[in-house]
Amino acid sequence: MAARAPAATGRLLQGFRKWYYNACGFNKIGLMRDDTIHEDDDVKEALRRLPENVYNDRMFRIKRALDLSMKQAVLPKDHWTKYEEDNHYLEPYLKEVIRERKEREEWSKK
Amino acid sequence: MKGLRGISHLSRRFYAARGGKQSLSEPLAGIKVSPRASHSFQDVHVTKLPSGLVIASLENYSPASKIGVLIKAGSRYETPDNLGVTHLLRLSANLTTKGASAFRITRGVEAVGGSLGVTSSRENMIYSVDCLRDHMDTVMEYLINVTTAPEFRPWEVSDLTPRVKLDKALAAQTQQIGVIEALHAAAYKNNLSNSLYCPDHRVGKVTSEEMHAFVESNFTSARMALVGLGVDHTILKQVGEQFLNIRSGMGTAGSKAQYRGGEMRHQGTSSLVHAAVMSEGATAGSAEALAFSVLQHVLGAGPHVKRGSNTSSKLTQAVSKATASPFDVSAFNANYSDSGLFGVFTISQAAEAGDVIKAALGQVKAVAEGGVTAEDISRAKNQLKAQYLMSLETSEGLLEAIGTQALGEGTYHTPEAMSQKIDAVSSNDVVNAAKKFVAGKKSMASSGHLANTPFVDEI
Repeated sequence: MAARAPAATGRLLQGFRKWYYNACGFNKIGLMRDDTIHEDDDVKEALRRLPENVYNDRMFRIKRALDLSMKQAVLPKDHWTKYEEDNHYLEPYLKEVIRERKEREEWSKK
Repeated sequence: MKGLRGISHLSRRFYAARGGKQSLSEPLAGIKVSPRASHSFQDVHVTKLPSGLVIASLENYSPASKIGVLIKAGSRYETPDNLGVTHLLRLSANLTTKGASAFRITRGVEAVGGSLGVTSSRENMIYSVDCLRDHMDTVMEYLINVTTAPEFRPWEVSDLTPRVKLDKALAAQTQQIGVIEALHAAAYKNNLSNSLYCPDHRVGKVTSEEMHAFVESNFTSARMALVGLGVDHTILKQVGEQFLNIRSGMGTAGSKAQYRGGEMRHQGTSSLVHAAVMSEGATAGSAEALAFSVLQHVLGAGPHVKRGSNTSSKLTQAVSKATASPFDVSAFNANYSDSGLFGVFTISQAAEAGDVIKAALGQVKAVAEGGVTAEDISRAKNQLKAQYLMSLETSEGLLEAIGTQALGEGTYHTPEAMSQKIDAVSSNDVVNAAKKFVAGKKSMASSGHLANTPFVDEI
């Protein structure tokens, strides 16, 4: 059904995604999607591999969000993270960590 | 019954044929030999590809094969900005490459019972794999991956820092290593003064970009040699043509080594003083190089009989007249592609270091003034020949010998040719080599309790 999606339903899907992103609300306190990811072992290893500047930016955003959450406030509307600007910085590292773990598991099964 | 008798007849017939002058390493006369066996057996074959890569192989019919990639990328090619990068490269042989992850390389090599290792010297880096003949394809794939397509992921490189520290701590346990590194730092102004180990100020600071840059500029086809023991030459040639052509060109040209003749003293608490006094020697492959090697054995290059009194070593005899305490002295000879070092290495009690060094140098001077008999020279030649031939007995030694010759000169000299060259060294050549040492500007490195150790201008 989704496989033969023509251009019209593609735009519909994007619209829905944008609405859902804004409804989640974390962009109102200045966070990106990958800042909110639950930290299990794979994510911890992927975070260890982040380049220093990316990691520092993440830490800044999390600190600012914690501060806002304590004050029960949100950022001004022009500072909210936009859907188009949301950068999935952790995704490649996380994918690699999961791939390596699966490789190890495959190997130990043999 | 008849068939059985027939078989025993056959074995007698072949025995009779062999009993004559038939060599066991050549095909029996009258037997049709397959086309691949048209070259003579047990010979080293050397081919130079148009890209500059040299391929050398020896089919020795052993059940285990060994393949090495030798690259002119030793510590002399480090620049002042990227000191320590060769140490990191030496530890990075098993890191993730474009074709295989670090885990896969380790487990894959282990699964076939092979081994993958790196050795590096001031001139060359040698990546070698060995395993059983049948599994050679698997490990060769990993070897090619490691030498041509490493990724040097930043977190894997920074995880190597504890291993760098461990290497340095282990090296610090042996005083001799420290003295030799200090000697090179004192003797040369540039490339050859770089240490094999990462300097202290660079531990933890060598980055993945520096390693990539070093590999890009130094691991080029024209500076590589692919050597195999127990592999077919045509297969090795195919591998060389297809896979080792990634980077062409000469890479960064190394600069000429500049000898300066300095001194480094490392004051310590050890009661034994290790000291090395050297002067510029012969370059590898030159006419003088063998004369210096023979001189090294005339003077004494390590004990040949365990727990013996080392009577054949002139240096030991000379120094034993100067002191009754335990000591050790030997001649040191190093040949690099554009320079060399020759001299004496002494280990003595701290209080007598001066006497020991002066006695050793006095003995070399005596040789320079002609104090060497024909018997000494022939003994030294035999010892040198024996040492060289015995080093070819192990597969590591043989790979290194074939590889360094293929990389340095593009050909391989058979052991017979080398023995003849050694025999051709005359007594005059040896005396001239000693004269060159006595006249040359000295470099010195010493470590231990140095109160009684003379400075280089006092010896």
